[in-house]
Amino acid sequence: MTSVLSYRPSTSSTGNINAPLNRQTSLSSFPSTRTASSPSMRSNGTPNNNVPPLPRRGSVSSSSRAPSTPSSSSTRQTRQQIGISKPTRRLKSQYPANSTERHVEYILVASFHVDRGPIMEHQYPGAISGDENMLAELMLPDQVHNRKEDWTIFFLHKDTSEEVDMTEADGTDSKIDAQGDGGNGVTNGSTSEEDEIDGPKLEKEGNDHEDDEGGEGPPLIYVLNLVNTKHDASVKRGAVVKAMAICTRHPFLHIYKPLLLLALEEYFKSPYPETLESLYEAVNSMDLSLMPRLTMLERHILLASDAKDLFVEKFDELIQQRMAEEANNNSVSSPNSPSKGSADIVGHRPRYSVPRDTHEFESKVIYNQIPVPIKVPTGICPETIGDFSFIKLIQTFSAPHAASPQPFALHPHLTTSGAYTHPVIVLINALLTQKRVIFLGHNRPSGEVAEAVLAACALASGSVLRGFTRHAFPYTDLTKIDDLLNVPGFIAGVTNPTFANHQEWWDLLCDVPTGRMKISSRIEQPMITDGMLYFQQQNPGYAPNINGIGGNATSLAANGDAAGDAAFMESINLSIASRHGESAIRSKWRDYILKFTRVAAAFEESVYGASALYIGAAEADAGSHGVHGHGYVWPDDATKARELGANVWRIEGWRNTRSYYAFIQDLAAAWERKPIRSLDLAHQHDRLRLLKLSHEDSGAIYVALSASVKTYDEICQLLCVTPESNAGLFYISLGLFHPNSKVRASTVDLLERIMGHDAGRHFWAQLGRFAKLAFLRAKRESAKGNDEGDSPTENGLGLSMDARVRAGMARNS
Amino acid sequence: MGGQVSKIMGKIFGSREMRLLMLGLDAAGKTTILYKLKLNSDVTTIPTVGFNVETVTYKNVKFNVWDVGGQDKIRPLWRHYFSGTQGLIFVIDSNDRSRIDEARQELHRIILDREMKEALLLVFANKQDIPGAMKPQEVQERLKLDQLKDKIWYVVPSCATTGEGLFEGLGWLSNNVKTQPQRQMK
Repeated sequence: MTSVLSYRPSTSSTGNINAPLNRQTSLSSFPSTRTASSPSMRSNGTPNNNVPPLPRRGSVSSSSRAPSTPSSSSTRQTRQQIGISKPTRRLKSQYPANSTERHVEYILVASFHVDRGPIMEHQYPGAISGDENMLAELMLPDQVHNRKEDWTIFFLHKDTSEEVDMTEADGTDSKIDAQGDGGNGVTNGSTSEEDEIDGPKLEKEGNDHEDDEGGEGPPLIYVLNLVNTKHDASVKRGAVVKAMAICTRHPFLHIYKPLLLLALEEYFKSPYPETLESLYEAVNSMDLSLMPRLTMLERHILLASDAKDLFVEKFDELIQQRMAEEANNNSVSSPNSPSKGSADIVGHRPRYSVPRDTHEFESKVIYNQIPVPIKVPTGICPETIGDFSFIKLIQTFSAPHAASPQPFALHPHLTTSGAYTHPVIVLINALLTQKRVIFLGHNRPSGEVAEAVLAACALASGSVLRGFTRHAFPYTDLTKIDDLLNVPGFIAGVTNPTFANHQEWWDLLCDVPTGRMKISSRIEQPMITDGMLYFQQQNPGYAPNINGIGGNATSLAANGDAAGDAAFMESINLSIASRHGESAIRSKWRDYILKFTRVAAAFEESVYGASALYIGAAEADAGSHGVHGHGYVWPDDATKARELGANVWRIEGWRNTRSYYAFIQDLAAAWERKPIRSLDLAHQHDRLRLLKLSHEDSGAIYVALSASVKTYDEICQLLCVTPESNAGLFYISLGLFHPNSKVRASTVDLLERIMGHDAGRHFWAQLGRFAKLAFLRAKRESAKGNDEGDSPTENGLGLSMDARVRAGMARNS
Repeated sequence: MGGQVSKIMGKIFGSREMRLLMLGLDAAGKTTILYKLKLNSDVTTIPTVGFNVETVTYKNVKFNVWDVGGQDKIRPLWRHYFSGTQGLIFVIDSNDRSRIDEARQELHRIILDREMKEALLLVFANKQDIPGAMKPQEVQERLKLDQLKDKIWYVVPSCATTGEGLFEGLGWLSNNVKTQPQRQMK
């Protein structure tokens, strides 16, 4: 996210954006456009500027939302004593107040001219470069004459060449092209590998983003568009159709919906550039400077958890920083000037308060004297753009299948469980193997297909993979078809049923109104690959056949669901039926995609001898902490062979796709920043979870975990492996029942460290009473063991821990 | 299931499907014709953004009629609707003499497309209710239909608001279509 920010060109000067120049300056000292008193957080560009952390405890407990720890001072004490070294870098905002980067870069207005068709009426602050007709066409979706209002979303691709060649500074390069436009937009699509390979390089240049995921290339501009049709007998041909669009680099573009509604209404009344200007000023004055930046691990933890006060410490820390700086800036100040340590600072200054739910940051935009509340998501997964629902997408295509399943035409990559493969699995397979996918919603608002496209991208990504949104066209129409067809593996939303008649245009057609999918009769059949032949030699009994059914006929008869997809979809549908909610479904999908990548790694290692999908296999297998092994865990070889066999086709189909190469890059980049490398935490946790281990083996795992998981980031890494959907800390806590007292003591140490961790304490609180009692028992036992000649501090610590444990249990019960 | 039953019924009772594409310059009356055929009522239309598509049943024939917006900038999109089209309905504003040459150029461009080789051509000389409108004979001459070789064509005087001539045109299409239309994948 933040690496995206640094490449955001400033648009403050003119419409003709000259990105390379502005990027240089944007990192230095553009004067703040918003709060003049705000501190410069960007100027200290290096990651490890050792600004001492400001006092950060205390006010959390004094704020309206008290944390669950009864005594925050004891937490700090614990942290110091146990030695959780929290990084002492200064906490940064995701959107610093003094950033020159705008939330919104352009406001556009287009209309349907009765004689000329779609035309652009106004653009603010300047003309967006690229084909303006094509933009106007996208802003006026098909059949909008039949409805009063419609929303669309589309993306603009910035030309990549300037990002690659930093020395080029002439304006021609910073041209912005809409997707599928004859020129660069398409180039972007077809040379995607190049631009993604450039990602990490770019990131190194933006040097203060050590926390970020691999670069995604130059960021897309997301466009949210509202179109209204107003019947008016007084005008020629009886109606006025106008559309207004907001162009932003924020993936959470749905937050602008209420503002667009107000502004377009206003524009019908006063169709002048001033209307655009006032909206532009309003949206760009939105203050997100108190939204903390999270590391990748922290984001994963936040998104996998429902705890409403997770990482509230960070919000509080930013507030503390802000107040301290304000106190410095105007020491001759108002009566309620903040003084450090004052217990109820937050109460006095209500404008600085931690959010009610740390998953969202609350702000507001004042437009035309109307305050519009805005909620911005704190953590954003890659490939998550706008507001969509997995549940809606899955239900749309599950219900007709459940009512009366229809056979698919067989294709090895897609129908991995035969002709009656679940349609959602067919969709996922199509996306993973980079097929051309179209969502068609005839007589539906174009916003509906756009949502389906965005949901599908996120579904396939699982916030693990990327490369989908970059080739997605949430809404497009016939005018772009020639360019669309130049993009390999696009994901597009359309409302024109003529697309259904052109089977040569797509591989998989998903019809939203009927909830049916169709595999094109013109789809290309895959070739037999080396990997498949090797697998066949190794495991003749489990090799897939050529018809595209996972596993051969006999093994299929024995177990029709070797890949586990049918069972997975059943559990998803059950979750939806029991109203587990969107976030539960998303984390299940994340697990599914993660599993797919791990199975793919195991497959590559098995047939090719090595895999770039797992980095550090040698380190993990060396067993530096007394345990070794890596990757996905199967109970036995037959199960493994069967599962690999069921996945051969789609894994082979996935290799050589954009998402595959991007994933390898991301893994390499993540490896650089990974706190623990010599131990595959997921592998060891899976062994605890899935295998029947001897006491000796399980003991070794607990000891190794305790020995290697120490620092703040290391604990984050462990917590990423143990989300609530994966039983939380339950399997870790089983170490408290281990027959060996050393193992029990190690587990106590580990759990104590987790308890003292900002996120870990929430995981601890989720743990059952049984485990907590066992913890107390093991704690006492190890304290007793240590008592001979040990210091009183240890006991004091033990007491305070007990208090916290009890508090946690009280909360739980 | 229901679809299959009706298909079988269709085979027994000879009901057929026919895919039609309705084109013409902007404001010629295409959408008004479509909804007059579909709903038998005179609806007030506004410019078509993109297209309309409706199914009209007349004398056991299901006409799948596509009506595509006619503004000059969006005419290049017409070609995407050609494949599988059995009949072209070209709508002329008989009252607009200034643009009849433009209409002729567009019409000839469509008809010469390879994918439209098999399609029948029906011309509605529309807006006959307006005094001084071109008569069918004049429309035929101005469109130079005689130049079209190997083409089955027919000009019908029509008035979309009253419905005059519309079903006559459909009747002509269903009588002249090749007996077995190529079945479209649905």
